[in-house]
Amino acid sequence: MDDRRALGQLSGPARSALVVLLIYVFLVGVSSLETGIKIMGEDTQERLFSTVSNPFAALCVGVLGTVLVQSSSASTSVIVGLVASGALGVGDAVPMVMGANIGTTVTNTLVSLGHIRQSNEFRRAFAAATVHDFFNVCAVALLLPLELLFGVVSKPAEWLSGSLVGSAGSDWKSPVKAWVKEPVGWLKDLWGAVVENPNLRGVGMVLTGLVIVLVALAFITRNMKKLVADRVERSVNALLGRGGGALALLLGVVITIAVQSSSITTSILIPLAGAGVVTLRNAYPVTLGANVGTTITALLAALAASKPEALTVALAHTTFNVVGILLLYVVPVARSVPLIGAERLADVAVERRSLAVAYVAVAFIIVPLLGVVLLG
Amino acid sequence: MVLEFFRRNSGEGDFGHIVSRAVTMLGDARHSYDLATLVLLSNADPGNVAQDIRDTDQRINQAEQELRSELIVHVSVKGAADIGSVLGFTLLLKKIERIGDQAKNILELAEGGVRMSGAPEIDVVRGDCGAISTFFAEAGTLLSAADVDDEAVADYAARVNAVIDDLHDKMNGYMTSDRPGRDVVPLAILYRYLRRVAANLVGIVRTSVEPLPHVDYLEGGTVDTDD
Repeated sequence: MDDRRALGQLSGPARSALVVLLIYVFLVGVSSLETGIKIMGEDTQERLFSTVSNPFAALCVGVLGTVLVQSSSASTSVIVGLVASGALGVGDAVPMVMGANIGTTVTNTLVSLGHIRQSNEFRRAFAAATVHDFFNVCAVALLLPLELLFGVVSKPAEWLSGSLVGSAGSDWKSPVKAWVKEPVGWLKDLWGAVVENPNLRGVGMVLTGLVIVLVALAFITRNMKKLVADRVERSVNALLGRGGGALALLLGVVITIAVQSSSITTSILIPLAGAGVVTLRNAYPVTLGANVGTTITALLAALAASKPEALTVALAHTTFNVVGILLLYVVPVARSVPLIGAERLADVAVERRSLAVAYVAVAFIIVPLLGVVLLG
Repeated sequence: MVLEFFRRNSGEGDFGHIVSRAVTMLGDARHSYDLATLVLLSNADPGNVAQDIRDTDQRINQAEQELRSELIVHVSVKGAADIGSVLGFTLLLKKIERIGDQAKNILELAEGGVRMSGAPEIDVVRGDCGAISTFFAEAGTLLSAADVDDEAVADYAARVNAVIDDLHDKMNGYMTSDRPGRDVVPLAILYRYLRRVAANLVGIVRTSVEPLPHVDYLEGGTVDTDD
């Protein structure tokens, strides 16, 4: 209890140092994940990932995985780790990343359900939450077919990654990979001493990596939130005075990079929208900025990977969101589509509140689950 | 607003900015109150100050709305740990806003044609109005103190409450007076407004020390201060 209190009262520099340490632990987790998959035989890898060879099933896996861990930062980091291991190709990973974008919106939609007893408050809060869902679904509906046909998301990412660390198929000597090599080696030796079967050893490493990634990210987010809470409060207050637009979008990027979680950024907005302090139109660009800001974690994870493809997927997450904003926010006609959709859905949800709960269950669990079962 | 994120922390603490704006609002409320009582107790034309009082009231209302939003942002970002302070500030801001309204009410007496400069007790009325005016400055000082001085607050509350009792007695005296209605009714109304302004001032200061449920109530929650 005292230790927990002491952690809660860390000074700014001490907390910053803790965050740096946690980022290192997070990178160890990503690298362990990659190593664990590599330890498994090729047959096992193929069996594990054959489900996602259908892009729509991969999309649904991305949604479900993200809903499960309530963080697209975590799920995309895991996807980056899988791509780094070679078990998952860029073509399969990109739809999963798009699914992660949709899945992450479940958190603020759940937060908005907290306002369900007050009609007007709920209407505003639910609309502010689901505008994020509508944008992400529209972006996927538009960009997934274009990606499958022309590679509009992965090709720019591939080009960028090739310019930065080399072309696909080559080995990238990441300095970060070298820094985390030692602790990953210890984990590998530990599992080697406990289990002889390479598949089980691989599973053990993967599970260890997953736990490390999730726990480290949760603590990074918690500590970063404490570190920057005053700054977030100040900048949101400035948003109230000056409205939405490009600056609000940029603010969403900055806050999300700082707290390493789009869910935190978007969830802060929900009570504000519910209370009528922020309008739907002003909240909307902040959530779009959060979409872009959250891609920083996968980029960070790609630093611990040994294949350029990992960075390609991380960059594809960024290009997907940036292209989505260019098509759906910058173009004035398209901008109002998610807003109108969210307002209509909120009206329906206020009329029949059970539908709001059903919407969350259907959109984030049942449909993706059916997608995996039927298409995978 | 993005640059705001990168600006260094001011070191004012969580509510330093709210307190400093609340003190400014209190200064504005005093300005309106002084102008309104000056017009009512003299032969000055209310038209000379009406716009100033209404603009000041508008400024107070605007500040109250902005600060309320900021308090909601505070809870959204930092959670419910400060909820007591947030509700206390909401109450405090509302009280300052009410004083602005009460100054407007006093102005409306003058705009309705009431003049008290000829009243036999004008010096007493001026003295009472002046006493309340000085309480504004004290309230501002107590509110902006880095550390709440419980004794100073208790002393302030005791003095203002004594004045409130006196204002209450005077109001009742005018209500039951045998003097003509046109002389005593405006005085009774004025004393009711003065009593409310004083009660709001003591309420503003007490929000900084009293548990929230007790603010505006005296003697263990049995007596309503009726502000």
